[in-house]
Amino acid sequence: MLRWLLKTLWLQKASLVASAAGVAGAFVLVVILHAVFAGESRQMVAYVRHAAADVWVMQRGVVNMHMASSFVWAWKAKRIAELPGVRAATPILYSGTVIRIAGRTMIAYAVGLEPGARRAGPWAMAAGKAMPGRGEIVLPRVFAEMTGIGLGARVALTGKTLEVVGLSEGTYSMANPVVFVAASDLEDLMQARGTVSYILVDAQPGQDPAELAARIEREVDKVSALPQERFTRNDIQLAMQMGAEIIAFMTIIGSALAAVIIAFSAYSQVARRRRELAIAKALGVRNREIYAAVAAQTALITVLGLVLALLAAWALFPLLSALVPQITLVLTAGALWRAAAVALIVAVVSAWVPARYVARVDPLTAFKG
Amino acid sequence: MWHLAYRQLTAEPLRSALTACAVAATIAVILVLRGFEQGLYAQLEAAVTTRGAPLFVAQAGVSNFIAVRSSLPQLARERVEAVAGVGEAHPVTGFFVTYGPEGNRTPVYLLVHDTLGGPVRIVEGDPIRAGRDAVIDAGLAKRYGLRPGDPLVISDFRFRVAGITRGQSAMLTPFVFIGYDGLIDLFLESEIAPDLSTFPLLSFLLVELAPGAQAKAVAQAIERAVPEADVLTADELAAKDVALGQELFGPIMGALIGLAYLIGILVVGLIVYADTIARRRAFGVMKALGFRLRHMLAAVAAQTLMLLVLAWPLGVGLAFAVATGIEALAPVYRVYVLEPAGLAWALAGVLAMALAGAALPLRVVARADPTIAFQGE
Repeated sequence: MLRWLLKTLWLQKASLVASAAGVAGAFVLVVILHAVFAGESRQMVAYVRHAAADVWVMQRGVVNMHMASSFVWAWKAKRIAELPGVRAATPILYSGTVIRIAGRTMIAYAVGLEPGARRAGPWAMAAGKAMPGRGEIVLPRVFAEMTGIGLGARVALTGKTLEVVGLSEGTYSMANPVVFVAASDLEDLMQARGTVSYILVDAQPGQDPAELAARIEREVDKVSALPQERFTRNDIQLAMQMGAEIIAFMTIIGSALAAVIIAFSAYSQVARRRRELAIAKALGVRNREIYAAVAAQTALITVLGLVLALLAAWALFPLLSALVPQITLVLTAGALWRAAAVALIVAVVSAWVPARYVARVDPLTAFKG
Repeated sequence: MWHLAYRQLTAEPLRSALTACAVAATIAVILVLRGFEQGLYAQLEAAVTTRGAPLFVAQAGVSNFIAVRSSLPQLARERVEAVAGVGEAHPVTGFFVTYGPEGNRTPVYLLVHDTLGGPVRIVEGDPIRAGRDAVIDAGLAKRYGLRPGDPLVISDFRFRVAGITRGQSAMLTPFVFIGYDGLIDLFLESEIAPDLSTFPLLSFLLVELAPGAQAKAVAQAIERAVPEADVLTADELAAKDVALGQELFGPIMGALIGLAYLIGILVVGLIVYADTIARRRAFGVMKALGFRLRHMLAAVAAQTLMLLVLAWPLGVGLAFAVATGIEALAPVYRVYVLEPAGLAWALAGVLAMALAGAALPLRVVARADPTIAFQGE
């Protein structure tokens, strides 16, 4: 029976490919949506990852950077620098803001750098200098590409006009592009005197970062101190959490669409073979054998659809990245496993409609004209 | 032709129902994605327009309410209230913070207000009455199971949930409303600045006009009197926030919606193709009877359109149900499925998609063999 249905499918290759393509379409949307959030979450922590402080110090109760506000008295940076196990403590100012470039207004996160705080600045440059002086700004290269500006251009950060002196690499993400300015400029904009946002602490060689973080929290009042790994994890979690519900809902809709397409395809196949099914039944083939064959058929369409979806996503990723340079796409193993698990459920659910039809086929049909 | 298409659809009701469901699901995907995008922009607009003031005073150079830090001098209020035509100026401060236990953190927008600019309607609990009181959006309450009376720890400072409001979120972020007493206590306890008197505690001033005053004229007068400030009408500010949202979300939502349309074409194409294959014999008979290719194509198009007529209300209903489900389970999102302009665009898109899908099996129809009509089944 199974062989017969598989042969039938093979005879209708075009139909099979069309069904699998429909299923792939439903899954591809879910896979790409997940890849967008995963890519964005990874890119959003690019600054934290590359700044690579052993310990991050911030306002007590704050545990991450993206969409957070942190204020710490500036003198606490000096106090931390004097603690045993600390090699250096680099304070930065940090604020979410908007930037106006060539008539476009975009979200940006500004990092205010003290003179000489190169370790907190951009880690790779496409052009120009990495350390902005007063009245200067370093932008992500993608901003320059999107707006057609270059070095020497003037942009407005809130109300302050600044000259572009550098274009950095790897600092752009759709929700969290990082620009670098002099701390004094950002201080003017934020009107926050005697305050810093985060302190990047470098440990002495051999010093355990977790131990150092605990020491800082003990010795310096009202600050939170987190080792790099925990701080980065918190930011990724926050970013993914913002998209988690939307991804879940889109997975449900996409899966429902896939289930209907598979049910439709499988139903079309068995409906076309109504007479043959009646003959099979008249010859003594049992319903459960036919059900198994139908289930195998839906499973085959689903697996083919899933494979096609992954191939389509793989092909679409560079195309989407070229068309929409703002987005970063990352396909994670977790997303693939989730898609496979959903596909399995979809295959089982969608076998129900054709199976119900098969059960109702009357063997007597075989003997009618 | 229409009669033939109708008979084809009613001949196999289960098959037609499945077909309509598949097309409806495709329509629902498109509508939900569009609705989600429209909801993002509508929330940004509402974040400004529900503050209840015709004019907003911001730091010079700031022309957005959300996503940008505005800092006004603390004495700006007195100077603004001294301007002719100003009825009253109400302070408002807003900034992002994160809330929740480590590992389950979410961003919230902390909106500090005094006499205007607070939550529009409280659906549960009470308004702010004490320094540590907070009113939170239902999105945050739902996500963390918060009820009136529960503690709300922000930056290690313990507020108390006094009430819950609805529809107060933007940028995928729920709002938390607190008073200035709460903000000052939070800042003092957190040791964030050497001198709070010079710390930026004021983001915006919401200006109510004196009776008979003209908004534009008052705005210009304020900008003359307070050069370090810009004044925008609520509509101007809302439009700029929507434009910022479009800059941020537009490309990715556009790509996803475009992809959804492509998938829609594929799905409709698949369905029409499968149906055409199944009816090859019927097309052969039509050819044998002298029907021209254009008649047969018209039959395919008619059936596709009839299918669409069935599927459209089903798809809109499904999208509405999904949107209602999303808003109920995660009130931080708004999904504007029934927005007329969005529906009209989606209908036009779906129509184009259906016709493109119907064109896919063109070859099968053209190649239908008339001799099939004289063969046994």
